[in-house]
Amino acid sequence: MSVGQNTDLILLKVLGVTDDPNTDTQIVILQDEANADILPIWMGPAEGTAIRYALEDAVLPRPTSHDLMASLLTHLGITMTHVVVTNVQDNTYYAMIYLCSNERERTVDARPSDAIALALRAKCPIYVTQDVLNNGGRANVSTWLAKLGPQARGQTETQDDSPKTSQQTED
Amino acid sequence: MLTQMNVRGLLFDPYNNAYIVVLRDEHRSDVLPIWVGKSEASAIGFALENISPPRPTTHDLMKSMLDNVDAKILSAVVTDLKDNTYYAKIHLWYGDSEYSVDARPSDAIALALRAEAPIFTAETVLRKQRSEELERWLETVKPEDFGKLDT
Repeated sequence: MSVGQNTDLILLKVLGVTDDPNTDTQIVILQDEANADILPIWMGPAEGTAIRYALEDAVLPRPTSHDLMASLLTHLGITMTHVVVTNVQDNTYYAMIYLCSNERERTVDARPSDAIALALRAKCPIYVTQDVLNNGGRANVSTWLAKLGPQARGQTETQDDSPKTSQQTED
Repeated sequence: MLTQMNVRGLLFDPYNNAYIVVLRDEHRSDVLPIWVGKSEASAIGFALENISPPRPTTHDLMKSMLDNVDAKILSAVVTDLKDNTYYAKIHLWYGDSEYSVDARPSDAIALALRAEAPIFTAETVLRKQRSEELERWLETVKPEDFGKLDT
């Protein structure tokens, strides 16, 4: 099992963004098409909001940073073909954005939050490698669920006096 | 007519829990304060202090995408001030044409600083701003007097 890498790409959909009741961070929940695996990625509030806006198709009076990025690409005639969550290392997720300009493919290193926020705006697919899904997904959800005591649900002012368990964040 | 501006710094506005990006012209006669949110301010702060976090920020990504396709940022221009909202444009060179893209001043400034591109303000913006209540704002500090947010 541990020999060799499985870099097969699994298509993901964004289920939603939720507040982490234990910290002031947000969690974007990704799920594979077969609904078999869940990949939660922790991120800061600004990053979470950027994804929320895209999910809600919110049109703000002025362009957000990610709207600007999408509009820069559109203006220059550059297509975003897809994004991939490529790696998880030391609790940090890595992503890659694939662009196509003048029929040449280019890749740009990004945080998953930016990659997802952009992919949703550009309406391009989001993938994760099988390895990352295996390593990040299941273990991570169990850790998170374990931390979610019944008293944490739906309350805004819970006291967090338990020691922080390791969580996978991208920042 | 355009006036070239330098980013003088960032101030914290405790009344609004917001930040102010202070632009000043080269002759130091005009000051343009622009209210921005926290994440916008930190995008500018990182660039001013040449901080590179371990992972690319949103504006680092913007810059690296443009670098990747050989697009060059020519300038950022604060073009208008309407209903307490500043407007900006980013001018780019790509292929063999010039492009200009509508942006909030905070994004335009954060990007221009990373690209080491000049920042300009339209003369009309300086005039409108001068005539507005900056002085009064300093004397009578009420929350509703603040708020030239670009968000």
